[in-house]
Amino acid sequence: MSSETRVASLREFWQRGRGQANLMIGLLVTLLLVALAAVSLFWTPYPVNAIDIPAKLQPPSAAHWLGTDQFGRDVLSRIMAGARNSIAVSLVAVGIGAGIGVPLGALAAARRGWVEEVVMRFNDFTFAFPALLSAVMITALLGPGAVNSIIAIGIFNIPVFARLTRGAALSLWQRDFVLAARVAGRGRTRITLDHILPNIASLLIVQMTIQFALAILAEAGLSYLGLGTQPPDPSWGKMLNEAQTLMFLAPQLAIFPGLAIMVTVLGLNLLGDGLRDLLDPRLRRLR
Amino acid sequence: MSLLSLQDLTVTLDTPEGPATVLDRVSFDLAPGESLGIVGESGCGKSMTALAVMGLLPAAARCRGRIDFEDQDLLTLDERALCALRGRRIAMVFQEPMTALNPVKTIGFQVAEGLRWHFGLGRGEAEARALKLLDRVGLPQPRFSPDLYPHQLSGGQRQRVVIAMALACDPALLIADEPTTALDVTSQAEILALIAEVTAGSKMALMLITHDLAVVWQNTAAMLVMYAGTVAERGATAEVFARMAHPYTRGLLAASPGALEDILPAGRRLATIPGQVPDPHDRPQGCVFAGRCPRVADDCLPCPPGERLLVPGHAVACLHPHEGETPS
Repeated sequence: MSSETRVASLREFWQRGRGQANLMIGLLVTLLLVALAAVSLFWTPYPVNAIDIPAKLQPPSAAHWLGTDQFGRDVLSRIMAGARNSIAVSLVAVGIGAGIGVPLGALAAARRGWVEEVVMRFNDFTFAFPALLSAVMITALLGPGAVNSIIAIGIFNIPVFARLTRGAALSLWQRDFVLAARVAGRGRTRITLDHILPNIASLLIVQMTIQFALAILAEAGLSYLGLGTQPPDPSWGKMLNEAQTLMFLAPQLAIFPGLAIMVTVLGLNLLGDGLRDLLDPRLRRLR
Repeated sequence: MSLLSLQDLTVTLDTPEGPATVLDRVSFDLAPGESLGIVGESGCGKSMTALAVMGLLPAAARCRGRIDFEDQDLLTLDERALCALRGRRIAMVFQEPMTALNPVKTIGFQVAEGLRWHFGLGRGEAEARALKLLDRVGLPQPRFSPDLYPHQLSGGQRQRVVIAMALACDPALLIADEPTTALDVTSQAEILALIAEVTAGSKMALMLITHDLAVVWQNTAAMLVMYAGTVAERGATAEVFARMAHPYTRGLLAASPGALEDILPAGRRLATIPGQVPDPHDRPQGCVFAGRCPRVADDCLPCPPGERLLVPGHAVACLHPHEGETPS
């Protein structure tokens, strides 16, 4: 494909997408989150872990926009650094889920027979446990920490992607153009790479945004339980946990990280919905 | 010497309702550069024959007999050997150009695909050859850029792309499975002319599958009439049209609209053949056409009629064939 056609189709997407409120809001929130995390890499209003006991539990002010916690640490700085943490954990976890789940699903659809049975029964096995409970179990087994929470969340993303890929790929395998590719002498691997995956790419992108939101929630949940990111590294879930005891003294400590989680998940869900509307021609509204 | 030779090919499908015989002792030969039309109504085994030759029958299919292609029995080859043949020596054009192309790949990529795979050409070289192929099937540059996507083309243009894909590796055998059924009448004529053009003067053999007698009449030298998985009548196209012997062949002709005005009287009503193709799970003992045949007699029922030669090159599987010229 030449670069002009690619640019042309990107511009077409932009023109179609601009009119969709949910897509634009979702995109804005997501970009804001990424920007916050990126800025926190080299600048935060205060050092993230700097303790300043005399300035503890301050309400929002000009000096501390979102106030300070019980150790006098700046809440805004910690939320910014927490965003970085949430993004890293979710990105890698969804990467694990898609990186293993998509090939498994594609393999199941291409080979059928006992391969498919093994893959799908393994999926059912993983699906049978509530994801968060199992994540708690895995982190309890492997020990708490950011890396182990990534593994735990990642494992439970695998069947989601495997099922989605298999279902979509199975219907594509029945299509004439796949038969045409087989008639042209292509093997199953090449057909999967050249014909099946490009056709379900949009589906996978949408699912990734939604799983990304769920992973952020799961990471916050694990950290809240003390199984995820360990102190003193900032994490939204950890902040909620620490704020709990001070709920009536300093409610803002719980409100701001809670808002951060809520807005992020909402934004990612809106983005996912918007992308689905944009990429799936069957759902496109007639204008 | 024949290029493709089917000998007593019998295909049975294992279904939940029991085995279904979809092809019953089908034999024919096709020499290099020749053309063979296979005609019959839906469900008579035309497409199954094509899929059997490509080695793409459903997993539940059991085959007996032989399919010899270039001195190899295709039924004994493994998947790897078949992949090397498909697209390289045997190519196929499909019925539905709307679905035979991948919607997310450019036409240039799809035409070049076979070249890259079978000849190991680099991307640039394969796409340069793809341009020539597009040109050859009547999609000239620069109007039909290889960067176009299938949805940017009309049905006839897409079928041209499918034909370009089939021709890419210069196959010895081209199978066209109802290549014009999904197209409008003017595109039909153009696509058939294109297929005739690319096969004429080359050693490429053509197996043209259709339900339309007119298409066979205009495009093939020899023809095969199939009914319920068996061969009803075969011969040189002109000979078969001149003296249709099987009641089914005559029934098909009487049921064909248009395009045959030169052999049919004006103002006649289209005839129908009463009844349906027999259930492949429960095939009759004798002649498979007996249940719908206007000439059925007692001796048709106990055992199937063998093929009888009427004149050299014209055979019919019927105990009571029509004699003489096809009425006009």
